[in-house]
This record gives sequence, C-alpha cells and structure tokens, in this order.
Amino acid sequence: MCGIVGYTGFRNAKEVILDCLKRLDYRGYDSAGVALLEKDELKVFKEVGEIKVLEKKIPNINATSGIGHTRWATHGEVSRRNAHPHLSCNGKIAVVHNGIIENFKKLREELEQRGHKFKSDTDTEVIAHLIEEGYNDNLKDAVYSAIEKIRGSYAIVALSREEPDIIIGARRESPLVIGIGDNENFLTSDIPALLRYTNRVIYLDDGEVCVLSKNSVDIFDSNKRKIEKKIHLVEWNIEDAEKSGFPHFMLKEIYEQPRAIQQTLIGRISEIGQSIEFNRDVEALLNNNLTSITIVACGTSFYAGLVGKYLIEHLAGIPTYLELASEYRYFGVRDSNSLVIAITQSGETADTLGALREAKNIGCKTLVITNVIGSSATRIADAFILTQSGPEIGVAATKTFTSQILILFLIALKLAGDKISVEELSRYISSLRGLSKDVRRVLEESDDILKIAEKIKDSQSVFFIGRGINYPLSLEGALKLKEISYIHAEGFPAGELKHGPFALLTEKTPVIAIITKDKTYDKMITNIGEVKARHSPVIAIADEDDEEIEKYADFVIRFPSNSTLLSCILIAVILQLLAYHTANLRGCEIDKPRNLAKSVTVE
Amino acid sequence: MIKKAVILAAGEGRRLKPFTEAIPKVMLPVANRPILDHILDSVRKNGIEDIIMVVGYKKESIMDYFRDEEDITYVFQDKQLGTAHALLQAKEYIDEPFVVLPGDNIIDQTSIRKLMNSKSDISILIKEHQHPSKYGVVFLEEKKIKKIVEKPTDGTNRFISTGIYKFPVSIFNEIEELSSQGVYDLTSVLQTLLNQGEEIEAVIAERWMDIVYPWDIININEMMIRGIASSIAGVIEKNVILKGNVLIGKNTVIYSGSYIQGPAVIGEGCEIGPNVCIFPSTVIGNNVTIHPFSEIRNSVIMDETRIGSNASISNSVIGRGNTIDSHFSTISGRSIIEIEGEFNEVEDIGAIIGEDCNIGSHVVIESGKIIGRRCDIDSLKRIIKDIPSEIKVM
Amino acid sequence: MKCVILAAGEGKRMHPLTYTRPKVMLPIANKPILEWNLLNAIEAGLEEFIFIVGYKSEMVRNYFSNGNKWGIKIEYVNQGKPLGTAHAIGIVESFVDEFIVLCGDTIFGKDDIKNIMNKENSIGVTRVEDAREYGVVELDKNNKIIGIHEKMSKPISNIINAGLYHFDKKIFDFIRKTKRSPRGEYEITDSINMFVEKFSMKGVLLEEWRDVVYPWHLLDANKEILSKMKKNVEGEVEENVTLNGEVTIGEGSRVMNGSYIEGPVVIGRNCKIGPNCYIRPYTSIGDNCHIGNACEVKNSIIMSNSNIPHQNYVGDSIIGSNCNLGAGTKIANLRLDKRNIKVTINGKKIDTERRKLGVIMGDNVQTGINSMINVGALIGNDVFVGPGATANGEIKPGARII
Repeated sequence: MCGIVGYTGFRNAKEVILDCLKRLDYRGYDSAGVALLEKDELKVFKEVGEIKVLEKKIPNINATSGIGHTRWATHGEVSRRNAHPHLSCNGKIAVVHNGIIENFKKLREELEQRGHKFKSDTDTEVIAHLIEEGYNDNLKDAVYSAIEKIRGSYAIVALSREEPDIIIGARRESPLVIGIGDNENFLTSDIPALLRYTNRVIYLDDGEVCVLSKNSVDIFDSNKRKIEKKIHLVEWNIEDAEKSGFPHFMLKEIYEQPRAIQQTLIGRISEIGQSIEFNRDVEALLNNNLTSITIVACGTSFYAGLVGKYLIEHLAGIPTYLELASEYRYFGVRDSNSLVIAITQSGETADTLGALREAKNIGCKTLVITNVIGSSATRIADAFILTQSGPEIGVAATKTFTSQILILFLIALKLAGDKISVEELSRYISSLRGLSKDVRRVLEESDDILKIAEKIKDSQSVFFIGRGINYPLSLEGALKLKEISYIHAEGFPAGELKHGPFALLTEKTPVIAIITKDKTYDKMITNIGEVKARHSPVIAIADEDDEEIEKYADFVIRFPSNSTLLSCILIAVILQLLAYHTANLRGCEIDKPRNLAKSVTVE
Repeated sequence: MIKKAVILAAGEGRRLKPFTEAIPKVMLPVANRPILDHILDSVRKNGIEDIIMVVGYKKESIMDYFRDEEDITYVFQDKQLGTAHALLQAKEYIDEPFVVLPGDNIIDQTSIRKLMNSKSDISILIKEHQHPSKYGVVFLEEKKIKKIVEKPTDGTNRFISTGIYKFPVSIFNEIEELSSQGVYDLTSVLQTLLNQGEEIEAVIAERWMDIVYPWDIININEMMIRGIASSIAGVIEKNVILKGNVLIGKNTVIYSGSYIQGPAVIGEGCEIGPNVCIFPSTVIGNNVTIHPFSEIRNSVIMDETRIGSNASISNSVIGRGNTIDSHFSTISGRSIIEIEGEFNEVEDIGAIIGEDCNIGSHVVIESGKIIGRRCDIDSLKRIIKDIPSEIKVM
Repeated sequence: MKCVILAAGEGKRMHPLTYTRPKVMLPIANKPILEWNLLNAIEAGLEEFIFIVGYKSEMVRNYFSNGNKWGIKIEYVNQGKPLGTAHAIGIVESFVDEFIVLCGDTIFGKDDIKNIMNKENSIGVTRVEDAREYGVVELDKNNKIIGIHEKMSKPISNIINAGLYHFDKKIFDFIRKTKRSPRGEYEITDSINMFVEKFSMKGVLLEEWRDVVYPWHLLDANKEILSKMKKNVEGEVEENVTLNGEVTIGEGSRVMNGSYIEGPVVIGRNCKIGPNCYIRPYTSIGDNCHIGNACEVKNSIIMSNSNIPHQNYVGDSIIGSNCNLGAGTKIANLRLDKRNIKVTINGKKIDTERRKLGVIMGDNVQTGINSMINVGALIGNDVFVGPGATANGEIKPGARII
C-alpha cells in the first residue's frame, strides 16, 4: 500500500530517496513526503499529489540521510498534514509507516492525556510520539518500546536528529527489506526501489528491528538479541514502465494483452510436439494422483480462480475448491492432501500470503501463480509459475487476469492427461496459439464497446449474468465496472436471478448477458427473455456466429468465433474495455481509483 | 549539436494494403523489427536524445511497441493533411535546430550524421533513384538546391528528396504561413523558401530505402538481411543443416531434418519442422509454426502465422496471424498488379496475403495476387484474382 | 594518495565471456585483469583503493573483499547508473583528495603507475598503431595537454589517452560542469578538456600498456604475461611426467604419469592433470580443473571448475568456468584455407586477424560426446551442445544444439 524508503550513506539523500520513491509508483499513492537530516537539522517536506510536485518544493539540501514515503490513505483523509513522515512533538523524531495500527485510538487517547499534541488524523503519528516517550538517548531502545505497545501491522523507518548517523527499521507483517550498499545502506518496502543502487538485500522478518548506518547493518530479534541474517542477491532487471502515449496505464495494459498472452505461453506449449510443459518443480506437483485442489486468492485473482475451477473440473475431473484467502486463513475444513494453488499478481497480497502459510502448516503442497519474480509468495510456496506478463501498473487488474486464466487452463490440460483425446488436445493447443490474434481482433473492433459504454454510463446499477464458466466472468465484469467507474454493479449466475435479484431490475438497470454456444445456450436465451420482461435493456456478449441472439438482446457485442473454452479470455477483454470506456466517459481517475491500491498488503 | 528529432509516423500508407489496414506503414516489419525501430536506431546512434513522434493512424500499435522507451514524446495528428501539417504538431516541443524524418524509410546512421553536420541551417538528404517520378525530385546547382518538384512528368533528373531534413526553429513560421494558405506539404514549403532566396544544402544519402508497394517488403527485407551475421539461440535438433548466415531467435525450436540456407532470419518462439526447408532470403517473424515438409523461399512470413505441412511458398509476403492448412502453394512469375488505380509490372512475384486469414488445404494462389485481411478461403481453391478484405471464398 | 579503479563496466565487446562476469574479472594467467592492476599499483606504492563497481559487482567484491589478502585496504562504491567515466569519478568526491584513477580493464605496469604518482595533474598516454578508436591526445612541446580528441577518422598523431590519471580535488568542479557526450555519457575526457583551459595538465608517456577489447585479445595478453613468469611447482607431480620450461603448478594439484607440459604454462590449485595429456605453451588453467587422458590443450585460457576430461583437443581457445566437455569433443582452430578467422560479436562480423582461433566459450557450457566446435565459434553461457552435434558461429546463451 504505502511505499517506504530509507537511506543513509554518502550520496545526496534527496536525489536518492526521490529516485527510489518514483519506482514505487505502482503501489498507488495520493501523497508523498521526505524527511532529510542536514547537519543536525531535520527538514520535512510533504505534498499531496505526484512525486514530481513534491520534488519541485524541496530546495538543494546537503543531506546524506533521510526517509521517504508514498501514502495510500487508510486512516485519515488525503491531505498534506496526514502525509508522512510524521514528527514527534519536539520535532526531533521522524517516522514513516506502512500498515495499520489496530489499537491506535486507545494509544492516541493515552498519549494526549500525557500531554502529546497531534497534528494529523493518522494512526502513524502515534508511533512518532511513542518513540519520543521511550527516548532516552537511544533510538533503537525507543523504537522497541514503541512497537511493544502497538497492535497491528507495520513496517516503520525512523530517524532522530539526536542520532544523525543512523536510521532504524522495524517490521511486523508489512514487508521491509534492507539494501546493502558500500558506504551506504537502504531500507525499503519494495526491492525495485533500490535495484539501481544495489542488488544485495536482507529480508527482515516479523518482530525484527534493524539499525543502519552508512557502514554497518545490525539486526536484532524481538528479544533485542543481535542476529546474523543471510544476504540475498537479487537478479531482477529494473523495468521502467511508462504510459507511452496511452492516456492511462490501464488502457495500455489492456492493449498489451496479445503480447502478454504470448509471453505467458512461451516455452510452455508446443504445437508440433503437441505438449504442455512447466518446469520440473511445478510438474512434480501436477501429478495424476491429486485427489483435490484448493485455490486461494483475493479480488480479481479469485475470479480467475473460479474460472480455473470450471476448467480443471471440466477437463481433468479433479474436485476443485475455491476459497477467499481472507476466509481460508481462519475458517473451513483442511485436507492436507489437497494441492493448494494460490493466485496473487503481486506476490505480496497479505491475505494470500497468510493463506499460503496456513496451507504449509497443515502439510499441503503449495503452488503459486504470480507475476512478480522474487516476491514473498514465490519464496513461501513449493513451486511457482510466473505469468510473465510484464509489470502491471493500473490498479484494476487486466492483463494479469487473462494471464492467470491461461495458466490455469494449461494446468487443467496438464492434469487432464489421458482424459482428453489427442484430437481435443490438438484443438486446444491450436486455439492457444491463435489466441493472441483473436484478442487483437477484439481490441481493433472495439467501437461497439464504446457505444455500449455511452449507453450505460449514467446508470445507477448494472447487472452481469452468465452460466458455467461465464458466471465468474460476470463477477469480474461487475468488479471491473465498480472499481473504476464507481457504478454499482453485480454479477449473478443467470439461473439465480429469479431467486431474488429480479426485484432489482427496472428499465434503468442494464443487464450484460454473457452467452456462448454451449449446452446452456437455450437456458440463457430464456433468462434473457425473463430480464426483458422486466424492461431492462439487455446487452449480450456473444459469439460472432450467433445469429439467434439478435432476436433477443437489445445490443450485441461480438467476439471472434472460438469453439473452445478460450472464449472466456476474449470475453474478459471485452469486459475490461467496457469498464474502461464507461469510466473514461464519466471522467473517473482510472489508474489510481479512489480508495484502492494495487497491492493490498494489509488485511 | 542537434539533440532533437521529429519523426513523422502518422501516415496510413494506402498503397501497402492490405497490410496497412491494421497497422500503420511505419510498423511494417523489416528483418523482424518495425521500420520505425530501424530509424530510431540510426537516429539515437547519432546522439539524438529527444524524439518527438507524430502519430495518427493506428497509433496504439506504435505506442504499444515502444512502451518502454523513455525518450519518445507522442504528438497526435488527428487528420492526415500532409507532411508540413504533421510537423507543425510538434512545434511546442522544439526550441532548437532539429532533424525531421519520415518513419517509413530505412536510412543509415552515417547519412544522418552528414546531414546533422552540414553547414546550412536548412539541409536535405537526397538520393539517386531509378524511378524519380514517384517522389519529390530535386534539381541541383553545385551542392545547393535550385528547385524541388513533387512527382514531375519530366523524368530526366536523377535525384530525389528522401523527406529527411534539418531545420532551424524558424521553419515553423514558414509552415504556419503556408498552412493558412492551404499548403500542407513540406516540398511546397521548401520550394517557397527557395523562391525567397533561401539556401538549402543537399547532402547525398548513402543507404536509403523506401517501401511503397507490398512487393517492396520482400526486396527491402532481402537487402537488410544481406549482411547479417549468424547467431543461434533456441533449440536446434539433430540433423538440422544451417548454411550461410542464419539468425535464429530464442525459444525457437528447429526440429530435426530441417535445412536452412541463409541469409535467413527466424524470430523468437517459432516451431519449424521437422523437415522444413528454408531458402534465401527469407524472414520469418515471431511465434510462427511451420509444419513438416514445407518449403519457404525468398519470402517474408510475419508473426503468429501457422503454415501447414507440405506448403510451397516463394517470393511471397504472408501477413501476421494467418492460419494456412496443408499443401498450400504460391506460384511465382511475372504479374501486372494494380495498386490504387496504377498498374505495375512485377517480376518473380508470388502471393501477397494480408493478416488473419484462414486458408484451407490444397489452395493454390496464382502469381501476383493480393489477398486482403481476414479472408477465409475454402480448401481446394485456386485463386486467380485479387481478393478484397473480409471475403469468404467458397 | 588513494587509487580509484574503474571496474563497473560490462564490456559488451567481450561477449559471450561478459554475460556472466564483469570485464575486469576476466582472467589472464589465472588472475583477473583487475588483480594484475592491483598488484602493480601496490608495487608502485599505493595502499588505499576504491573500486567503482556496477555490473555484476558481487563478483568483484567476493574476490577482492577488503583487500586484507594483499595487506592493503579496498573500499567499494556502486556507480548506480552507468553514465560514463566522469560520472563514475564524480561519485567518489567525498572520499578522496589527491588521487590516481586507473581503468580496471586495461593493464598498466608498476613503473608507469609510479611515474604518474609522482606528477601532479597528469594523464598517462601511449602510442598505438591505429588511433582511430581512441582519444588522441594533443600535446605541446613540453608535453602539456592541449586537448583530447575522441575517435578521429584521421588522427593527428598516434598518441592516445591510456586511461591512467592523477587528479586532485580541482577536477570535480569540471566534472560537475561536464555535459553529456553524443553517446549519452559523461566522459572524463570532456572534463579534462575543460580543465586544461584553466589549469595545466601533463601527458606522461607510458612504457607498458595493454588493452583488451575483444575476447581473443585475452589470448595475446595471456601469452605476454606468461612469457615473463618463472616456474613454481607446488602441487604433486608423479614420476613419469615431463615439465619443460617455466611451468607453474598450484597447491593441491596433481599431475599424473605420462603428462607432457611445455611451458610457459600456469595451472591453478586442486587440479587433476593427466594421465597422458599434452599441455602446450601459453596455456592458463584455473583452479579445480580436470585435464584428462589423451587431451591436448594449447595457447588457451581455461577458467576455474572446468573439465576437459577425455580425448579432447582445445587450441587457441577460451573456456569459461563450470564447463564440461564431453569425451571426444574437439575444437577446430584453423581454417582449411588458412585464411583469417572472422567472428560475429553482438551481430557484427569482425576480422580477428588471426589465423588460429578456436572457441570463445562462456560459463556453464556442456558438450556431449564427440561434439565438434568449429573455428571462431562464440558460445554463450548455459549452452548445451549435444552428442555428435556441431557448433558454428555465434550461439546465444541458453541455446541448445541437439
């Protein structure tokens, strides 16, 4: 959620910290700030809006230590005074924080009673004051005393004017990584922030506190004992993501899907060889003796998982359970024989990581589908499959969703083994090879979608319906529309409408019906009839060869004919474009929708 | 020192249909990279730091391809009114002398350097050409330009304008003035300046190539890969013969028994073979599958195309995303091809097929025939005339 | 006085060897180029070093550590963005007063380094045959520098900038003012050109200078350094082994019966040599290598942990580390028509001007039994050449020739 950077070394701290913060853009932020130590003066600068704005407000400062932050608001509105870093009353201690402090209200009351004056509404500020209270010439001890009192999640970096040569980091359940340099050291919430300067990192674990000076790194456990930790070498490349002419990252990423699909498939399917292959670790998990599979995920990944469930059960006949990661952690029956597949784009989603750890504790084998190499999820699970679709900056997931479905499709085909005939497999592989071409067509012929967006943009509510594999797509379609256009939307299995939701249908509530030529076609036509009987406009998303549908729907958006299950990918792209154009017509802030962040690392 | 370049990439390139129905001319692949990419290379190697690209027609494919490049600023030309009008869109980004290049030519690094180092403020790159009447022809006196005429009827003069210029910032004033008079092309702007007594220096380009017609794609690819050096990535199975200069991209598999004679370029993620023969000068794009016992000769096969077994393809251009069933044949020979109302006689030409077609098995295409995009051709058909886009041949 | 060594570059023209290591870590006579420079600098009297690192910096750090091994002190600074020589030197401003700068990938002699140390504000210059690819240094009759001209197509002399400098704090102001060059970097030669407008800087002619641009230059440098080495046998040598000339065998190595070694040859530690192998002059073999029965190795550099174990021929070649040649793998090093060997580096065709050149092989390459490698082949890291297969030309990392 929030992005954190800490630096102490020989370079110009302002330049280094701002440079690193710029690389944290994808975490989503509404404001940014830095605190710099110049000689023995602690100077704080913060602004609402982009880092570029903040950059202009900072004069040339001769500082070699500092901390920086990009804020994604959880407690307290978006404003300059709520932006981090936060100071103690005496202005000597500055703190940046990522996470949520659950007991902050009580702590704040107590601190206020003891005479502390608060300047913001944030939970973070209590940390600064707690450190101040515990301060007795030793910043590290003061930080320990503060974290003892906090309940919740945190990644904190603090510095003090009184000890200008060090910065202190502490974490519980929010990521914090130390970057080891020469004559300089870094702290950050995300590795890409510091790859330009160093590729040696130490991952801090929960409860640990570290003290960094320009020449030393000391790490202490929760009992204040000094410990040695392993230095990891990161091999990633820095990817500079730019919008490059597209008005929004989301649109750019929607248009990247033909290429992202190819990237996801590369090395995994062979048309001549008629085979599907993953690397050894993954293949070891995908054997024929699986009794069941449990998929855990959140948000859009959850819907990808739901599509996956249909695919795996249809093709491989293996019972597949789907659990929301946030629920799996605390509820439900466990089966240690079930292969747990976690889906998380960022690899850092707190709920999904928690579910993964839980699965390991029970003794399940774990596989994670993710887009970020080196993320926490890849280090926890037994094996991982990378979607390889390139960085996704827009907060609403687009290309990673379609890539996740593709991977699940490949997994389903792999698990199917003998259950599908050679001809069927051949057809699927051909379809996979031709998929990016079909997606390109959908993108090129998207004028119809724009027209539909015009029609629905002023609606109060929009409903999405589908059956079978199209049901999770209807959920995703609704989610996308909600996320970025702020129109209330809901998805339903088409057969469920009559069991309640019909009551909501009026002539002002458009219904988007996803209808493909399979065994449920006729039933869908009936459902559409029922909807029309309630005077709601029906927009069908249908196969280009489907002539019947013209008689029943008011409008039709078509996708290229595809006789296999892969039409779900084409429909997903249509739903993305529909949400995008609707939001755009409404003037919404598409890449950083209000109240949402890209990678949810809190619970 | 010149640091800025304006690249005009907004045009459609109508004479290159059907390929330009889906992508702008600047994105047509030469040696598996868009022509535009080659120009950016030449330009960057000369120290250009800022590239202002004027885009319009099908701009998404350009912005998507170059999405990770930091030195490109996009400027939009909504209506394609002419080269001067396109340049005008970039005005607010230019405050120093700059070079202008059309995005659809191949030009070498040295020529651009000569242009940048020329003495006059206004300079133009010119080239000798056999068919000057299709271009803006330049009449010289010593090294200075006397006259420029667009597509003259008098075909005696040999030098043509490449459309690559060096300009001072003041050029925008001239362009604006002429724009208000309804004149939108750079050739006219330059002629006006000449009439006013301005000195325009001519610099002779070393290597310059233009693509005008679909069959030019074969020639320009052949010229670009002539000097390539062998480089093998991917997986090469046993009993594969690679002769001459062959470039094979990563994640590509060349199955056993295949014979590839260079110069030949094969992109990434392809599956070729077993027992496929590829002869010079052939360029095969990315993610292409070629099934066993096929022969490809002097042709360009673009990305994502799938060619069935026993195909015989020569002197042809096969667009992106085609799915072609087995026993496909092109016939090479002399043909008279009509493009936008003009008739052109072309030697040794095979088939020209637009993107995303579905072609059945045992289809034969007579020489010089142009098949549009998204066509469906049933099996056992013999194609004896051009097929427009989105047509089903049954 | 501190010595700053520039060691951040990748050395793209050294591909495929530099896909997995920085150029300064390429070994000649079993020591990385950077170590030769370090040793020469230490002999010249320098004790405090700053290595400016970047590409694959961990290899440099792991090897040199804090310098204790040589009794001196080494600090590291990460260059961050590779923005050129002036940018790199500028970063260490707060660490130095008067200092020497040395390009880590060029080999300098100790006397020259000492000479430069004794002359404030000076740069090393050297004569070359073809100055077109270098910075030509224009000097007045007192050897004062008038200017440095990069890559002249018609050079005014053949005296070029050698890459060895003696600066003081004054240079940093000029570094700050330096603008980006046409190739997008901040070059120290531009800073020097500004410096000499206000202050004086002298050119000092160097006696020894060797730069290595392409992989086969390493073979030349290897030959030159090996020619000066004296024999030193620390390992175990069995009875029926012949060692002619200057042969160095490292600790823990074992040379078995029937081996015939003609120096100058260097063999590292813990190697297993023989039985019945033939190692010919100008060959360097790293640590933990196995040169086995019926193998012949000549004029080659074999990096550590590699195996040439059974019935192989390796001539005029460079073999990376962790490579394994299958039994019977042979490397061709001479064209049948005896013409110069041309290779492709990074897609460009280059005439090596050598009649004999075997293979330039990156790290972790495996070859199957009886595989064949043709003259001038460049094999990237992690390539697999299958049994009986032939490898030709440039083969990119990760490729498989089955």
